[in-house]
Amino acid sequence: MTTSQGILILAGLAAGPLLGGLIAGLDRILTARFQSRIGPPLFQPFYDVIKLFGKEKVVVNVWQAFCANAYLTAASISVVLFFLGSDLLLILFIQAVGAVFLVVGAFSSTSPYSQAGAHRELLQMLCYEPLLIFVAVGIYLLTGSFKIESVHAMDQPLLLKLPFMFVVLSFALTIKLRKSPFDLSTSHHAHQELVKGLLTDYSGRYLALTEIAHWYETVLVLGLCSLFWATNPVGAILLVGITYFLEIWIDNVSARLNWRWMLGYGWAMGMSLSLVNLVWLYAR
Amino acid sequence: MKELTCILILLPFLAALCCFLAISSRIRSFIVLATGCILIASSLLLISYVPFAFSPQTTFGVGVHGLIQVPDFILMFAILYFGFKHRSLLVIIPAALQIVLVTWFEVFMIQGHPATQAFYCDNLSLIMVLIISIIGSIICFQALPYMKNHEEHLHLSTTRQPRFFFVMLFFLGVMNGLVLSNDTTVIHFFFEATTLCSFLLIGHDGTETAIRNSVRALWINSLGCLAFVVALMMIYQSLGSIDMQQIIRTPPGAGLSFLPLALLCVASFTKSAQFPMQSWLVGAMVAPTPVSALLHSSTMVKIGVYLVLRLAPAMQGSFLSQCIAIFGAFTFLAAAGLAVGQSNGKKVLAYSTISNLGLIFACAGLNTPESITAAILLIIFHAITKALLFLCVGTIEQHIESRDIEDMRGLYARMPLTALITVMGVVMMIMPPFGLLLGKWMAMEAAAGNIFVIILAAIGSALTAMYWARWAGTLMSDPFAGKFTLEKQSAVTWAALLSLCAGAGILSISVPWLYAGLFTPSMTLNYVPPYTLNEGILENSYGVFAVLPLCLIAVLGFLQSIWAVRGATKARICSPYLSGIQTAEPRVFVGPMNQLVKAEAGNYYLSNIFGEKKLTIWINLAAGVLLTLIVGGAL
Repeated sequence: MTTSQGILILAGLAAGPLLGGLIAGLDRILTARFQSRIGPPLFQPFYDVIKLFGKEKVVVNVWQAFCANAYLTAASISVVLFFLGSDLLLILFIQAVGAVFLVVGAFSSTSPYSQAGAHRELLQMLCYEPLLIFVAVGIYLLTGSFKIESVHAMDQPLLLKLPFMFVVLSFALTIKLRKSPFDLSTSHHAHQELVKGLLTDYSGRYLALTEIAHWYETVLVLGLCSLFWATNPVGAILLVGITYFLEIWIDNVSARLNWRWMLGYGWAMGMSLSLVNLVWLYAR
Repeated sequence: MKELTCILILLPFLAALCCFLAISSRIRSFIVLATGCILIASSLLLISYVPFAFSPQTTFGVGVHGLIQVPDFILMFAILYFGFKHRSLLVIIPAALQIVLVTWFEVFMIQGHPATQAFYCDNLSLIMVLIISIIGSIICFQALPYMKNHEEHLHLSTTRQPRFFFVMLFFLGVMNGLVLSNDTTVIHFFFEATTLCSFLLIGHDGTETAIRNSVRALWINSLGCLAFVVALMMIYQSLGSIDMQQIIRTPPGAGLSFLPLALLCVASFTKSAQFPMQSWLVGAMVAPTPVSALLHSSTMVKIGVYLVLRLAPAMQGSFLSQCIAIFGAFTFLAAAGLAVGQSNGKKVLAYSTISNLGLIFACAGLNTPESITAAILLIIFHAITKALLFLCVGTIEQHIESRDIEDMRGLYARMPLTALITVMGVVMMIMPPFGLLLGKWMAMEAAAGNIFVIILAAIGSALTAMYWARWAGTLMSDPFAGKFTLEKQSAVTWAALLSLCAGAGILSISVPWLYAGLFTPSMTLNYVPPYTLNEGILENSYGVFAVLPLCLIAVLGFLQSIWAVRGATKARICSPYLSGIQTAEPRVFVGPMNQLVKAEAGNYYLSNIFGEKKLTIWINLAAGVLLTLIVGGAL
């Protein structure tokens, strides 16, 4: 392992808690402004997590502790691998490991809220995972490799060749980040019919762990977005910024859809757009 | 190596006979254990001799080809007999046709003793021998305590175990014979013998359903055998050879038409229970669980994928090969969909087997070095993990008297270690860095160049994660026992479960060495080793899988998470949130108007989308169309 790799690993490990937390803070401020509120300070997510760590340990089932830890581990490894420029499919698979553990942890409580949330999260995974794989395949067809380093070697932004794949990715992003209309399994809008679902019985430090893991995941999916304009850091930041701003906007203006709609829309739209874009690349 | 080959094929037959004659169950257990140990040792010893080919010198100048003539006809007449016994025209017609065709083939076409190597063992055969001998033996070991409990439960007056272990051991010998033979007529004999063995095993309990399902298995597989014979005749017609190596060394399209190859593939699909021939394997779950474990992991269904992989070089770059890839990927997706709709644990396992085999066929069809590597990895790890899961379900079933996933809710409280091992099995099915996921990763990267295959595989993969995660979660659900008290099981059962679990873990870590030692040499025929190996990291021009570093991180992550569990045992245990005042009784809360409300939760099975009744007919139809495309396209 070289020094630069060591730096990248550390950067990846730090990116989740720092960058992810800041993004969460920004998200909350923007959401508040959309709802004509002032909103919390930028660092509120950090205060929340620190406070959660200080709480008494309460569990429904000790395996929740295992699952929360495994979720965080998998999420952080996927971000580190992303920073190292590793294989896209591998990163997606490891990201899925974390997601599965979060679900298993929710299953380990018999609360109907947790159970329903866990099932819905599985359906969300069912919807976004193929879409993410399609995006990876699109990148492969364009660059000839699944390795992220090959994206950085391109001299033209991917967005120009893969515009539809970017739409598919943002669709998957909405589901992955559990933004309305796809905040089925757990939500931060108090008016939903199932609010905390999946996370109902995680509490204290274990809830804090899932929160940090979610920050890592946010960094990962936004990182995937940034690949579409990897030629220029300003372009990448702009693209990610605009995409995330739109996500928050959609989150605040749309009502929750049920899972049938999600699967129907997700697969139909995701697949047809991917197909068009992929055929386009095949035909080249 | 001649001695080893002889032991691997003939010892199980001999031991089977002894088992059949042994009156005392002690002696029977001893024979099974001893045979299993010798098989495991011989298969491991065989590693150093590969590759080899030889024809044994037999007495009276009759080769292996001549020696199997008599048993071959006995076998075919036995199947015909069972057809008459169960009054099934569907069995009688193919069996009778087959007798006629084989007689014609032997008497009028081959005439005498064609020159072939009787036995041929390369790395593919070796891997199969290892799977059959090691995993098959472990399953037989576990069958000893299982069958004892099983018969106690059924209150049988006379034990039927001699017959059971006779067929189980016989099956292992037949399988070893099949993968080591090079003479296609001998392969046909063993191919047919596995049909009979599985028929006898599925019908073992003798209940009405068992008989019905076993007859179904018999006729479906007889059709496969028939396709096999026709294919052999056509190949002999055009090449004048019954030598497998000679057949696959014929360059694609030179002298050999694709039709017989397509027929051989169809025969393989029936053995591997691909759609629309899946019903026999799904029905096979009526048998005692060790039978399912044997059929699903190391024997029967693996014949199909073995044969197609064997034939792959002869189909390289052909339309047929592409069709097989799409067919396989379709099966992968369709069977995963059906598994989502099932709450019966054994059915979930059955559909997952069909699904995984579909992925292996897809890899064989893609026919690139990467995909062939993926296929072999998938075969190995699927065999171990599926054997483990079936043995777990069998153990659970004998304990809770149900195989329904809903009844396994909170199993951790009742059978902690078995539940943990089952969850481990599930994790090995879907998660990196375990071998099965590595295989799936290779398969997907190899499939990325084929738009149909990759789309089907991506969706299938997401469905797969869904039904496994649901099951694992259900097993770990509360009521939480608090204390870990080990359940009672026989030592053999623990040994079988733990050895399979540990074996899958250790093999996953050693994939780089496995790749370097076993796969690279087997790639000689038209394939170049696709991955470079560097410090335990597999890499090619477009993908990188850091096997060893990931294993290391996984182990660390696992230990850290276990440490967290230790910490959590000191935590206050509270009851799940139920939106009301909790009562002392679990899952009951005080709701509105002071009424007690019991909270219930069940899994989503989405049966109005993924139900068998909804989907099977359409899947069979689509698979039928694809099969027609495979055979028709080869014309």
